[in-house]
Amino acid sequence: MEKSFLTKQAIGSASKWRHLNKVRWLTMSLVLALLVMLPFLHVYQTYLAAHAYDLLAPGEQKLYDVIEALTAPFVNDPVRDLDAIKGTTWSGRLFGVKMSDPLAVVGQMAAGFDFYKPFVLTALLPVVATLIFGRFFCGWICPANFLYELNTNLGIMLGRFGLQTGRRRLDSKLKYGVLAVGLLICGISGSVVVAAVYPPAILGREIYYAIAHRGMGAGALFFTATLLFDLLVARRGFCRYLCPGGALYSLLGRFRVLRIQRNVVTCNDCTKCNGVCEFGLNPLRDDFGQECNNCTACIAVCPTDALGFKWRITDAANQGPGYQGPRYRHDQKGQQRQVFGNASAKT
Amino acid sequence: MAAMTTATPSSGQASTRTTGQRYLRPPGALPESEFVRRCIHCGQCGEVCPNRCINYFGLENGLASLDTPYITPREKACILCMKCGEVCPSGAIASIPRTITDITEGVRMGRAQVDKRLCLSYQGKTCGVCYRACPLPDLALRVGMLEQPEVLDACVGCGLCERSCIQMPQAIRIIPDQA
Repeated sequence: MEKSFLTKQAIGSASKWRHLNKVRWLTMSLVLALLVMLPFLHVYQTYLAAHAYDLLAPGEQKLYDVIEALTAPFVNDPVRDLDAIKGTTWSGRLFGVKMSDPLAVVGQMAAGFDFYKPFVLTALLPVVATLIFGRFFCGWICPANFLYELNTNLGIMLGRFGLQTGRRRLDSKLKYGVLAVGLLICGISGSVVVAAVYPPAILGREIYYAIAHRGMGAGALFFTATLLFDLLVARRGFCRYLCPGGALYSLLGRFRVLRIQRNVVTCNDCTKCNGVCEFGLNPLRDDFGQECNNCTACIAVCPTDALGFKWRITDAANQGPGYQGPRYRHDQKGQQRQVFGNASAKT
Repeated sequence: MAAMTTATPSSGQASTRTTGQRYLRPPGALPESEFVRRCIHCGQCGEVCPNRCINYFGLENGLASLDTPYITPREKACILCMKCGEVCPSGAIASIPRTITDITEGVRMGRAQVDKRLCLSYQGKTCGVCYRACPLPDLALRVGMLEQPEVLDACVGCGLCERSCIQMPQAIRIIPDQA
């Protein structure tokens, strides 16, 4: 009786995190929608700057009208005001604040062997956020992650039709090698070439090229290749094993302050968390590590609300089987048998 | 093109990296090799360009300039609005205020060169289109008798003259300054 009371209390405190996964999907959709919207806004701005509505093609006039209708309530002078949000997740300007991916800064430092302070400062906010929330960019903002997760779901659907997708497991330390080699090539070539193999940078750029320029380039091919790699070789393989940006975020988020932690009292060892984890981690046995991106998918899927956030800089040591699970009960019985003999078998 | 190989100052590595294509970097861009080191390929310069004159390289100019911005003045020339330098986060394009003195001192995209054999004005047919297109008239470009153009030292190489030249091929073209 006492135990079940305790359980209820624990559920009450943990369930508030449950809906974060939906918030996360909303955030990612919003970021992707912005990446698609911004090039259109840019094209609209160029039409405005040209002062030549009558000279536009019918399709362009339609685009002009639609964007004008959408933005009119929010801006007075579109040519100036729509400049408030520019760029991509790789580097962008958000209401006057310039923000860049830490990988862009590190890549530039490697390419030029210099330390250009105004640019380094643009990565300050992301770096501080990563120190606190870990690799959250990968799960919450990265537009490529959104597509990769949909790709995973596609793989599961294909599995239902009997088509086997790739389930290989590689070493997740591989990506640190990719990061190191990438930075080395930056230094040798004198150009920030990591931008060419970093999916969020590629995606932002290629969407922009497709809408405002002559169409997609080499990056789109590369991104398609990573999608196929995920589908055919290893589930979420690129993010888990190869992404240089993910490697950098993992290193920065190693001692993140906010972590997901398992409440061993309410855990029933159902293993759903391990199944849903996109990064192939082991929440079931408290093994999150630096790779965890606090995406909260495991929290959302947990039927007993045993997972929740904690402020601490290390993972809990393996707490053993969940107390609500058969394994724990079995172990307990075994111990009781050892102590009391067969007498306690009734309870 | 041929004009570039003859006229660019041949100073070391920057010119060896180019493939012979004639292109301009956005206004305020650092010298070529430094520019490539600084540029993070984010695409924001093109995204603020109100004239849509900034394009991006694919692999045609080598791996190092993949996704870096360039301008082909004959297709679309720079109007010197200086927004790209303002938005550039990495300092590859310097932020230069939009005043005549700042632009003539800070911007070095290239320099116009007149081919007198092609130029209509030098052939006795008064034209003067390039002079009318120049954003820095009498500073960068002067016309004499029969509107014959003469490029002056303050030319920053925006390319509006080349864009507007009514001759085909163009009689005035920008020689990139990528040293």
